[in-house]
Amino acid sequence: MKRVTIIVMCMALVGFWAASSSYGANTIKVGFVDTYSGPASVYTFDVVDGFKMAIQAINAKGGVLGKKIEYTTRDEKFNPATGLAMAKELVMREEVDILAGTINSGTTLAVSDFAKKEKIPFFCTFAKSEKITGELGHRYVFGIAENTRMIGKATAVAIAKQSYTKFWVAGEDYEYGHAVGDACWKYTKEMKPSAQLLGQTWWKLGEADLAPYITPIVQAKPDMLYVATGGVGNLNFMKLAKAMDLMKHMGIYLHTAIELSNVQALGKDGPEGILGTVNYLYYYPETPENKAFVEQFKKMYDRPPKVGALYGYAAAQLIVKAYQKAGKIDKEKFINAMEGLVVDSPVGKLEMRKCDHQLMLPMFFGVTKKSPQYDYLIASNIMSIPGKDYLPTCDEILKVRKK
Amino acid sequence: MRRINLDIIAAFCSPGVICQILVGLSRTVILFIVASGLSLILGVLRIPNIAHGSLYMIGAFMAYTVSRLFGGGITGYWMALILAPLGVALVSFIVERGIFSRLYEREHIMLFLLTFSFALVFGDLVKMVWGAEYRTVSMPSFFQGSIPILGLPFPIYSFFLLLMGPLVAVLLWLIVNKTKMGKISKAAAVDREMVGAVGINVSLVFCTVFVIGCFLAGLGGALVAPIVNVVLGMDHTLIMEAFLIVIMGGLGNIWGALLGALIFGLTQSLGILIWPQFGIVFPYAAVIVVLTVRPTGLLRSTW
Repeated sequence: MKRVTIIVMCMALVGFWAASSSYGANTIKVGFVDTYSGPASVYTFDVVDGFKMAIQAINAKGGVLGKKIEYTTRDEKFNPATGLAMAKELVMREEVDILAGTINSGTTLAVSDFAKKEKIPFFCTFAKSEKITGELGHRYVFGIAENTRMIGKATAVAIAKQSYTKFWVAGEDYEYGHAVGDACWKYTKEMKPSAQLLGQTWWKLGEADLAPYITPIVQAKPDMLYVATGGVGNLNFMKLAKAMDLMKHMGIYLHTAIELSNVQALGKDGPEGILGTVNYLYYYPETPENKAFVEQFKKMYDRPPKVGALYGYAAAQLIVKAYQKAGKIDKEKFINAMEGLVVDSPVGKLEMRKCDHQLMLPMFFGVTKKSPQYDYLIASNIMSIPGKDYLPTCDEILKVRKK
Repeated sequence: MRRINLDIIAAFCSPGVICQILVGLSRTVILFIVASGLSLILGVLRIPNIAHGSLYMIGAFMAYTVSRLFGGGITGYWMALILAPLGVALVSFIVERGIFSRLYEREHIMLFLLTFSFALVFGDLVKMVWGAEYRTVSMPSFFQGSIPILGLPFPIYSFFLLLMGPLVAVLLWLIVNKTKMGKISKAAAVDREMVGAVGINVSLVFCTVFVIGCFLAGLGGALVAPIVNVVLGMDHTLIMEAFLIVIMGGLGNIWGALLGALIFGLTQSLGILIWPQFGIVFPYAAVIVVLTVRPTGLLRSTW
């Protein structure tokens, strides 16, 4: 009697296991680990929402290779240790095929290392550390968003040909700040040897009143100030720039100064005349593809898409196309298919570069300006810098990876 | 030697330094207002209130809401400056009557942990009420722009802060030295049992002091709101600076808080002038120097 019970239980277990794995085989699962609480969530929800919008359309057409795409999210609360544990849980328990996220560079590098060991494809959808697809890049990690090295080079491409010669670098005293500041100056000097660095100023992360830091810079009279701040630091600086009329004294460049979450937070009070770059603007380019994307996004979420929406959308397109190209669900074939893959997007065709697994997004450069149509500043005099012009060269990447 | 002195005097008269001192002083104002509230509570109630920074944050968020209610602009700003600190005072009143008043007999460590837990609770409450998004209080047009001082731009709002600082200091001095409540609270700080024994309602005195201290935190938050972006986590750096200032000035001494804030603000702004790359180091170095020379703080501690 007892033996019978055990056998029945075993059979039930096997049956359950078979059922669950056969269920798993009918879908492709993507696991997002990201910061969904706290200030960083201003950016991360757009990634998932853009992703969701893309896969809904794909699933409605029957999915890819006859399988539907599913996704699940985990909130790592901006903590790398939590993020890594969640990535492990997603792979072991949820059996996800692909990992994606995160906005925290520390988490991204930890998850990337785990993905390398487990041979799971991992899409970095926001973190800006240049190490992700640079020094610590590997076969299983893909960079969607721009990184600090790319920001620096894009800045130099846009600024070096203008007449500025005396530069000053100022920013927040943490890894992102220094990485952006250093990269901006390094590439500017490379492209314009006559450029001069008059000095640098660094304030601590979260510093409320920046006036004491800025007055000495005005006195030094640089003609271009590179500001290397992130998140809420951008807004604190932009508020002060307006209060002190800094734009009258010097040119000011701040990456993401024209980004939607920044200008929206400042409203009509934002400072006009700050130069900035960003990977996506919902009102530019005015192509049918972008218009359709924006319209669909607005319809689904009742708000215009921010840069994260493009990252999430592009990640979904890449995943689908790579599976189609690979022809079967196989991780190694998926990676091979991903290398050099070209997909359509609201901002035109995008290529996943083979040498470093970095997506070649265009970078938009513009100047903040008031507009009667909007409740916030928009970018004017927009210039599009194609990916090939501002991504570090493959030689450069190989060099840093060898170190 | 004489030569060097003259050089230093000449350097101090340069427009850069004068401007930097003014900017440093205006920064001092908010630090002083918040730290004096912290010090007041510390001196009379003996509570190291970690949640003080959270109340400052709540003050800033309330300023955001109030200024929006009154349609932004100048009225919105003045209403925010009045109503937000009062709102914070109300929150602190509820907390004090509800919880703290029952626990004054406990050890310091218990009260310390309790205020720490409140810092966490307030943080989450702010997230529930206002969300995680960036908020900004628009600078009223009256305060917008800058005035050139010796050729360097000086924000008009900083002038306003320079006026607010002495105003708050004088009011505090009047409350502490000229009112009965202030005198009782000074006595209660020295010996609370004795004050109780004379038949004074110590609990009520404590409540008033706690509420005034928290009002100051809220006022600091409302004053800072137009120059920064109101966001979760803005309390973290401030509470650390406020504690350093209070420790440097002497625990529980309001004038110590003023002195500490002055040292903190001025070493920071002048440090930036000397060595912009490492400007952040100077105020903390000043704290170390002060505490090495006077381990109990600059002025007499009430502890």
